[in-house]
Amino acid sequence: MLLIYYACPYNCHLCFMVLNEYFFCCKMWYAALVRFIRRRLVLGIIFASSLTYCIVSFLREGSSRNMMYQETMIERKPFVWRTLQEHKDSNDSVICRNSVQGRLLLVDDRGYVCHRNDLMRNGCCDPLADFSRRYSCESCKDNNCCVIYEYCVSCCLDPSKRDLLELVLSKLSAEENVLFRTLTDDYELCLTKCRTSSHSVLHENSYKDPTHKHCFGHELPRSRTPD
Amino acid sequence: MGSTHTYIFVIITIKALFVLGGEKFDDVEASCNATNSDRVEYEYNTDVVNSEHIITYKGYFSRSTRENYVSAALKNAGVSNWTLLQRNNPAKEYPSDFDVIVLEDGRRRALEALRDHPAVRRVTAQRQVQRTIKYVREDDCGPAGCVYTGWRNHRARDLNSLRRPRENGYTSRKLLRTVPRQITSVLKADLLWSLGVTGEGIRVAVFDTGLARHHPHFGRVRERTDWTGEHTLDDALGHGTFVAGVIASRADCLGFAPDADLHIFRVFTDNQVSYTSWFLDAFNYAIMRKIDILNLSIGGPDFMDHPFVDKVWELSANKVIIVSAIGNDGPLYGTLNNPADQMDVIGVGGIGFDDRIAKFSSRGMTTWELPYGYGRMKPDIVTYGSGVRGSSVTGGCRSLSGTSVASPVVAGAIALLASGVPRQHLTPAAVKQALCITARRLAGPNMFEQGHGKLDLISAYQFLREYEPQASLSPPYIDLTECQYMWPYCTQPLYFSAQPTIANVTVINGLGVSGQVKEVSWHPHLPHGVLLAVAVQHSEFLWPWSGWLALSFTVLEKGADFDGVVEGHVNVTIESHGDIGEKTMRNQTLMLPIRARVIPVPVRSRRLLWDQFHSLRYPGGYFPRDDLRAKHDPLDWHADHVHTNFRDMYRRLREHGFYLEVMGSPLTCIDPSLYGALLLVDPEDEYFPEEMAALKKAVDAGMSLVVFADWYNASLLRHVKFYDENTRQWWIPETGGSNVPALNDLLSMYQVALGDRVFEGSFKLGGHPMYYASGTHIHSFPEHGVLITAQLTDQGHQIMTGEKPSTGGGTPGSGPTVDVPILGLLQTDGETRDYTNDTIDKLPKSGRLVVYGDSSCLEGGAARPCHWLLLAALQYALVGHLPSSLKEAAVPLQNRVRDVHIIPSELPQRAEGGRLHMYSRVLSSDGSGPRAAPSCDRPEPAPAQPVHAPPAARTLAPHHPPTDPKSIGAPEIEGTEPAPRAWRGAGAAPSRYYAAAEPPPASLYSRAGTLLAIAATVYCLTALWKRCGRKLRRRRLMSLAT
Repeated sequence: MLLIYYACPYNCHLCFMVLNEYFFCCKMWYAALVRFIRRRLVLGIIFASSLTYCIVSFLREGSSRNMMYQETMIERKPFVWRTLQEHKDSNDSVICRNSVQGRLLLVDDRGYVCHRNDLMRNGCCDPLADFSRRYSCESCKDNNCCVIYEYCVSCCLDPSKRDLLELVLSKLSAEENVLFRTLTDDYELCLTKCRTSSHSVLHENSYKDPTHKHCFGHELPRSRTPD
Repeated sequence: MGSTHTYIFVIITIKALFVLGGEKFDDVEASCNATNSDRVEYEYNTDVVNSEHIITYKGYFSRSTRENYVSAALKNAGVSNWTLLQRNNPAKEYPSDFDVIVLEDGRRRALEALRDHPAVRRVTAQRQVQRTIKYVREDDCGPAGCVYTGWRNHRARDLNSLRRPRENGYTSRKLLRTVPRQITSVLKADLLWSLGVTGEGIRVAVFDTGLARHHPHFGRVRERTDWTGEHTLDDALGHGTFVAGVIASRADCLGFAPDADLHIFRVFTDNQVSYTSWFLDAFNYAIMRKIDILNLSIGGPDFMDHPFVDKVWELSANKVIIVSAIGNDGPLYGTLNNPADQMDVIGVGGIGFDDRIAKFSSRGMTTWELPYGYGRMKPDIVTYGSGVRGSSVTGGCRSLSGTSVASPVVAGAIALLASGVPRQHLTPAAVKQALCITARRLAGPNMFEQGHGKLDLISAYQFLREYEPQASLSPPYIDLTECQYMWPYCTQPLYFSAQPTIANVTVINGLGVSGQVKEVSWHPHLPHGVLLAVAVQHSEFLWPWSGWLALSFTVLEKGADFDGVVEGHVNVTIESHGDIGEKTMRNQTLMLPIRARVIPVPVRSRRLLWDQFHSLRYPGGYFPRDDLRAKHDPLDWHADHVHTNFRDMYRRLREHGFYLEVMGSPLTCIDPSLYGALLLVDPEDEYFPEEMAALKKAVDAGMSLVVFADWYNASLLRHVKFYDENTRQWWIPETGGSNVPALNDLLSMYQVALGDRVFEGSFKLGGHPMYYASGTHIHSFPEHGVLITAQLTDQGHQIMTGEKPSTGGGTPGSGPTVDVPILGLLQTDGETRDYTNDTIDKLPKSGRLVVYGDSSCLEGGAARPCHWLLLAALQYALVGHLPSSLKEAAVPLQNRVRDVHIIPSELPQRAEGGRLHMYSRVLSSDGSGPRAAPSCDRPEPAPAQPVHAPPAARTLAPHHPPTDPKSIGAPEIEGTEPAPRAWRGAGAAPSRYYAAAEPPPASLYSRAGTLLAIAATVYCLTALWKRCGRKLRRRRLMSLAT
C-alpha cells in the first residue's frame, strides 16, 4: 500500500492515458459485437439452437428418470436346470460347489448334506460318510420351511421339487426381483431361496417363525403369533 | 477464520449414522444431546464475549503484580466493578503475560485506562471460538430447554482452557486445528500404489444412499442396485457418494483403492428411511455376488434385531469382510451401535488428525452381556474420521466428520491391501487380525475408546502378506492394573468376597470359519498367583470366525489380607476345521497373560452394591428415557451400568474411596452383610418375593438402601406411545423412567411410597444448582423421617394437556410451581436424628433409607450432576450423619402435616395390559406373576496348575514393531504430502474399464448448459421484442401524424 501511494504522483498521468485508450478500443469492439448479435438472423439462430438444446436435454432427463433399478456391468448367464444326470455325476473329476457358511454342516450342489469333517478335497460331500444324506428334508415342515439351512437346500434340490421350484422361479421373475434375475441354476436358486429374507420378518426386527425360518416354497413362513 | 460452513441434514431413522462437518475441537460443547436427533448442524464460528477482555502485558509477571497493575489503572479511571478471571490450572503458579478481565460497567473508560498503563501491551476483546457439531431438535430447544447443555462448564471453551491438559491424562498437547488433508497420504496408501497395489480385482460393496451414474470420481462402478423401491439409484444426500469416494475415488480427493470394483447397494431412501427387510435381501445378493469387503456406515442400538444380526453372521461365514461404523453417540459410554458391536465385524471408531478420539465416536463396552456378564471390547480399531475430504454429490470434494467416514477409510484400506496379498489370506478373521495386531496404540484413551489403536496400513499389509492361519485373542492380555488402557479394571483392585470381576475376551479364529474352544487351563504364577481363582466360560462354537471367552476373577479366602500384585496365565486351545478337504483338525494353543492387584477386604461402610439385575433397557422393549423432554432419543439404551452411562458417578464414588460392586444376580444370591449400602438407581424390573424378604432382613441387619427413582404414571405411559417407522408398530412404554409400583411394593415395609405425578424444574439444594428432569415425588413418608422439598412444575399435567412447557426450564415465575417433597431420609427403626457426635455403638443397628425422586442427574451428560447428593445420601446411609447442607433444607417437623402431608396425588398403578413380563427377568413370560427365584450358580473356578515363572515385564502388551516402508520394497515418497494421482503416475496400470468408458458427461456441465441456453433464449426474446416493439410504436406515431 505504501509503495503505491508514493509511486502514484509520478506515473498517474501516463496511467490514465493508457487506460483511456484501452476503454476506447473496448467500446468499439463492444458496439460492433452488439450490432452483430442484434441482427435478426443471428438472434433467430441463437434462439432456435438453444430451444432445441433445451427440449433435447429435458427429454433426456425425463427418460433417465424411468431408469432401471439395477444397473450392472457384469454379464448375465441364462438360467439352467441341471438334470438328474448332472446331479448323479460322481466321478473324481467333478468339482462341487458347497455352502461354505455352516457351523457344522455343509451342503454340496449334488444335494448331499454332510459334516464339515466329511468334505472332500474337491468341495463335495463324501457320499459314503455316515452322516451324509442326500435330498434330506430333516427339520423341514410341510410348508417347506426348515430349521436348518443346509437341510433346506438339500430338500430343495430334490428333483421331485422341480415343479414347485419352477413355479417359484416364474413368480420371482414376474416380480422383476433383482436378486433372482442373476441366478444361473437350481443350486443357486435353492441356496438363495433358503436364506432368510424380507419374507421372513415380522415387525422388521423379529422372525415370523423363529425356528422354521429357512423356506424354499412359495408359502411364507407362518407367523407364530396369531396376528 | 471468519468463514462459516453450515451443513444441515435431516435424520429420521435411528439406523443412520451421520455426523457432518469438518474438523472440530474436542473441548466444545455438544449442545442438546449427542445422541440421535432430528437435525444435525455443523458450525464454526467465533464471537466476542462482551464483558470479557484479554489484557496482554509487556512481560511475564506474577499474579499479584498483574493484579496491582490492573487495580492501579482502574482506580485512576474510577472503575471499581471488575474481576480478573482465575485460571484453575497448574499454570497459575507461574508468571504470565495475560489476564482475562470481566468488566461490568464503565467499560470504555476502563479499557482506555488499561491501555494507557505502561506495563500493558494491549487489551483485546475476549473471543469465544466455537466449532461444534450441533444436534438441533425439531422443537428447537433453547438454552434452558436443552437438558444436555454441555459436558463441561462454560469456561472450558475460552482460550485458557485450550492449554489445559485433558482430564483423562493426555500428556501431549497438540494444536487442535486441523487442516483437511489427503487421507490416503496420511495413511501412506501412496506407498502401496507405487508398488502397483491399487485394489484391483477386489469387490467392495457400499451399502448406503446410492451413487450417481456418471460421477467423475469413479471408474469401476460394477453395478448399482436399489433396494428401497424408490426407483432411483442416485444419491440425493451425499452420504453414499462420500463413502464410495473414500474407498475408491480416482480424482481430486483420492480414495484408497481406485481400481477396486464397486458394487453400490442403495438401501436408504432420500429421507434416510431403511428397513431390516431391505437389508436382508441386499445382503443375500451380496453373498451371491461373492463380495469381498462390505462397508456399512450405518448403525443403530437394536442388537436384538435377530434377523439382521443373524444375517451379518451369515455374511461373515460366507467370507465377506464387514466393516462398520461404531456410532456417533459419544462421548457417552454404552453407546455402541449394531452391527459394529458384533464379534465378527470390524467396528471402527473415529479420531481426529490430532490423534485424539473424536468426541462423537461411540464408546464403552458392548452391552449384550449384561447383567450376568460383562461387555466385550469395542471398537476394534480407530482411524481418522474427523475433517476427512471425500467426494461430494456435485462432483467436487467436501470435508465430513463421523464414524461414517472412519468406516470407509478402513474398508478402503482393506480393499487396497487385499489386492496385494494372496487370495487365501483374505478371510474376515485374518483381516481383522492384521488390522488389530498391527494397530498403533494411542497414549491416553482406554480400550473401550480406542480398541487396539490406530490403523497402520503398511504394517497391516506386511502382516497379511506373510499371514499364517492362526487364532488370536482380543484384548491379547488382561492386566487389571494397567491404567489408562485397562480402564475400568485398573480403577478398582480385587479383594476377597467381592462380586467377580469379569473380563470378556473375543477369540478371533483365523484357522477356519467354524471352530471350538477345546481346553482352557489356569496357570497361576507362584508364589502369589494361587490367591486368584479364575472361572472360564466360552461360547459353544467359534462361529463365524470368532467367539467369546469370559474370565471371572475372584480372590480366594487365603488372600483376604494379601496386598500386592498377582500374576498368571490362561492357556486356551482352539480347534478348528481347516481348509476344504483337510481331514485333520487345526489346533492352536494361545496364552493369555493375566495380572491383577489384590488388596485386603475393605471395611463394610466403604463397600457399595450396584443393582444391575433389575435394570431393563432397550433393545427388547420400549423402555423410555428418564427424561421426558428427550423426545429425539426416547429410548433408554445405554445399559445403566456403572461403566457406561453412570461412569461419571462411578469415578466420583471411587475418588471418595468407595468400592462399587455390580450385582448381576438377584438379591438372594448376595451376602448383604458385606455391604454398607445397596444402590437402587433407576430400576425397571419387578422383585422376587424372596428378594423383598432378603432385603428386609438385610436392612434390619444394618445394610442401608439408597433409591434414586424416576417418573411413572400409567396415563402418561399411554400418552407417550409412538409409531416406530423401523418396526412399523406402535410402541407403548413398558414402564416409566423406572418401575415405581414395584419400588413401592419394596418400600411399603417402611411406610414409604412414591406418587404418580411427574415433576420437573430447576432449584437449589444445599447451595448446589439442581435440575429435576421428569421425576416422581414422595407420596407418603413416616413422620420421624427427614423430608426435603423443592419448587417444581407439574410436567405430567403439562404433557397431558399439551401446554407449552415453561421455557425457562422451571425458573421461578415461569409456571405454577408446587412445593414437592423429593428427598426423604429415614432411620428404619425409630427416631431419625444426627448421630455424628455419638459413638458407633449408639448408632441404631438397622440400616437407613434414602429416597430421591429423579435419577437422570446421576447419568453421564446430565446438565447438573447431583453426585454430591449421592455422596451426602451415602454419608447419611453409612454413618448416620445428616450433612449440614441437607439439614438446612429439611422441612421443619412442625410445618408438616401428619403422614400424608404431602401434595395431593395417587399411588401409581401398573399399566393395564402391560407387556413388561415379556422382557422381565422376574415375571414369568406367560404373565402369571413372578417365576421361581433362580438358583445362584456361579461358574466353577478352573483348577489351578501353578507354575514357577519370573515376574512379567512392566507391560504385558505384545509389541509389534511398525513396518518400515522400505522393507516392503516401496520407493521413498514423502508420505504426508498430498500426492494427487500418485497411484497412476507411479506406474500402476490404468484400468481398462475406465479407458473404455465414455467420457463422463457430468451432470454439472449439462445443467450449466441448460441454464446458458435458457438465458440465451430469454435474451433473444427480449432483444426481438425491443426491436419489434420500437417499430410498432414508430408505426403508431406515424399514423397519428398523418
